[in-house]
Amino acid sequence: MRNTLQVINELKEKGLIKDYAIGGAIGALRWIEPFFTRDLDIFIVLKEKSEEGELIVLSPIYEELKKRGYIWEGHWIIIEGIPVDIFPVDELEEKAVENAQETEYEGVKTKVITPEYLIALFLRVNRDKDKRKIQMLSEQSEIDEEKLREILKEFELTEKFDRFKKEYYGRE
Amino acid sequence: MEGSKKIVIGNKMMTRKELFEEHEKFRKEQAKLPFEEKVRALIDLQKIAYNWGKKKDVIVWRSEKRGTAHI
Repeated sequence: MRNTLQVINELKEKGLIKDYAIGGAIGALRWIEPFFTRDLDIFIVLKEKSEEGELIVLSPIYEELKKRGYIWEGHWIIIEGIPVDIFPVDELEEKAVENAQETEYEGVKTKVITPEYLIALFLRVNRDKDKRKIQMLSEQSEIDEEKLREILKEFELTEKFDRFKKEYYGRE
Repeated sequence: MEGSKKIVIGNKMMTRKELFEEHEKFRKEQAKLPFEEKVRALIDLQKIAYNWGKKKDVIVWRSEKRGTAHI
């Protein structure tokens, strides 16, 4: 994964992206016990914001990756042997990237979305596998409850979270 | 009674409740492993899924430290 992150960092250095953070299952893996997953989700903040309804153009990023010889396999782009999903951020994801934890992976600088934002993101998608990750994050990582409640309130996810807690723990 | 039954593992004897508590403790310890170590464990899981689980659509991640693991 080190070389993959190095390539993403180079996209940032080249000015093709403004910022990024690891999210999804690998983001969660930073905070919880090892579990199976297939791909690396990268949330990117583009240099220029698109207006509502405008197209989000990722072509320069993909052109650069293609130029370097990275190929598509299904909906992933394989970067240094790892299937990567690149997501341009929406409002919640942008905040998650902004507040992500700066860390190093085998000496390469990177950012990982914090448990509080991961919970909000998983909650929004809310498939069974997302709920399972919320449960593991709640049980195995240190959650800043106040911060989590703030995020949930801001993005109108409080009710959904309370329903999740009732479903999994029998209480809100 | 089910709750008072003891389970013997090696030289340890515990109740079912204690066994679950032990598992939970282990999982919390696993959560504290370095990120790099967890990704290595993930690659091992991908290899198991590919080889043993016959999930041939799984791409086993390339591991820089152990050499190429792409099958």
